[in-house]
Amino acid sequence: MTALLDVQGLSKNFDGLQVSADITLALHPGERCALIGPNGAGKTTFVNLVTGVLAPSSGTIRLAGQDVTRLSAQARVRLGLIRSFQVARLFRSMTVREHLELAVLERERKTFRLFASVRRTPGLADEVAGLLDGMGLVPVADTAVGALAYGQQRLLEIALALALKPKLLILDEPAAGVPHSESHRILDALDRLPADLAVLMIEHDMDLVFRFAKRIVVLAQGRLLCSGTAQEITTDPRVREVYLGSRANAPH
Amino acid sequence: MSGRHTGAVVIDPSPPVAAHEPRFRRALGGAAVPLLAAAGLAAFWLFPNDLGLMTRIAATALYVLSLDLVLGFGGIATLGHAAMFGTGAYAAGIAAVHLVSDPLVLLAVGGLAGGLVALVTGALILHARGLTLLMLTIAVVQIVQEVVNKARDLTGGSDGLSGIEPSPLFGLFRFDMFGRTSYLFALAVLLVGFLVARRIVRSPFGLACRGVKEDPLRVAALGGSPRRYLVTLYAVAGVFAGVAGALTAVTSGIVGLDSVSFSWSAEALVMLVLGGAGRLVGAVIGTVAFMTIHHVMAAIDPFHWMLFIGLFLMGTVLFLPGGIASLADRLIKGNRA
Repeated sequence: MTALLDVQGLSKNFDGLQVSADITLALHPGERCALIGPNGAGKTTFVNLVTGVLAPSSGTIRLAGQDVTRLSAQARVRLGLIRSFQVARLFRSMTVREHLELAVLERERKTFRLFASVRRTPGLADEVAGLLDGMGLVPVADTAVGALAYGQQRLLEIALALALKPKLLILDEPAAGVPHSESHRILDALDRLPADLAVLMIEHDMDLVFRFAKRIVVLAQGRLLCSGTAQEITTDPRVREVYLGSRANAPH
Repeated sequence: MSGRHTGAVVIDPSPPVAAHEPRFRRALGGAAVPLLAAAGLAAFWLFPNDLGLMTRIAATALYVLSLDLVLGFGGIATLGHAAMFGTGAYAAGIAAVHLVSDPLVLLAVGGLAGGLVALVTGALILHARGLTLLMLTIAVVQIVQEVVNKARDLTGGSDGLSGIEPSPLFGLFRFDMFGRTSYLFALAVLLVGFLVARRIVRSPFGLACRGVKEDPLRVAALGGSPRRYLVTLYAVAGVFAGVAGALTAVTSGIVGLDSVSFSWSAEALVMLVLGGAGRLVGAVIGTVAFMTIHHVMAAIDPFHWMLFIGLFLMGTVLFLPGGIASLADRLIKGNRA
């Protein structure tokens, strides 16, 4: 089976400082993968390279066989490479429903309809209702996002990404800022993601990582250190070594 | 690290967010057009001697409505909106003097001219945001004014352009010396403009523009192109401003250099903030309030009327940050509590 995401020899230098070095990684449809590593390991840079926010110094990125290395971030979104944000980036005065309407309309490229009605766009209301239901956001559908609880904002981030019908979903710390007692709600939502969707999660919360990911990739100092199952990672001496200095993040 | 967009828009007078507001706003919006029409017609019977002023108010309200599309729904901070208004007014005026006299055709000419200026200048300046953009919009209106001033043969320069004599509306209704036709025509154009603007605001495009106003980079992450939305919005608003300018030219018969001035741009902003940006009724209410106060106060005290406007503006901004239009929200919320 061809890989959905195929990253080959990806490197990025900032003024001689190598923040990503020769990263090679493949993700297949339906895969649940987590990317971990100590602070400063280059996780965010890697996400920015894959999503097209940064241009790599060398290497290639293929999405479903197509070389997207030189494509803009927007073009990659349209090919199904979607990310959610570490800090919920939402439109404060818009309602939950309006967020999802906008995302669906963007995906269907209907946003240059100046004289059409959002409410009367065929199929839109049903699709949005489905997304609201999937994330348990029905009760707050008509609430302005500025008035939402933080956990609900995180769920909306995920719903927003799903509204774009991703092939590859990159979740940048989906549970960041959510109280530990509530992170199960995020995990429940992640469990219900479409089965054929490939998901790459960047996360510090190891409970979440171990419960969600079938495969874990460890990044350290911009390099791919190792990749394997939860058990393989926790017993790998190299992983223990890179995490030694930052015990707060240590896998246990 | 994805640096959070710091909301570089300088002027953002949108009211604080509240839960469950949109449904109520929608209900209020539904009653807006019948109420406006009724109020406009009532004024026609009540103040038959002030039709000239009321005609100017209606045309100006369309102009401020256009600014509301740009600022209230797109977050584009501008102090150069008169560039589109004035271009529309001069285009219609010049066309009326040399080419055609049908009032509806003149409005179309003005709208086209305003839209074209907005499209060209918008494509050039809308990559900037915040203060830089504000400066660029001022530069645009100054340049347009200077071009109009230099083209004396066509525009009359600082003497203004006169001799605009539109033919009867639909070939039936003469523009009479009492200004009855002018007023009803201006009121009708305003109402149609309001309906079209509301349609745009509620369209997928309007939704996307609201997204761009709050966080352009987030819209890009959804696959949209923030700049294309803004340039399109700017051009559409330019059509509205151009029609408003043409409407002023057709109903008053003259066009002056002040219609393409920085101060006329700034006054529109004051009217919009008074009424409440980000809602279409706010534009109309603000215009009526500003121009009525101006008229009344200038009659009482011709030297210090600006003082009253200033005090009124300060009071509104301090105690009603959502503008006069947000009064209705407060009253209803107060009743619920």
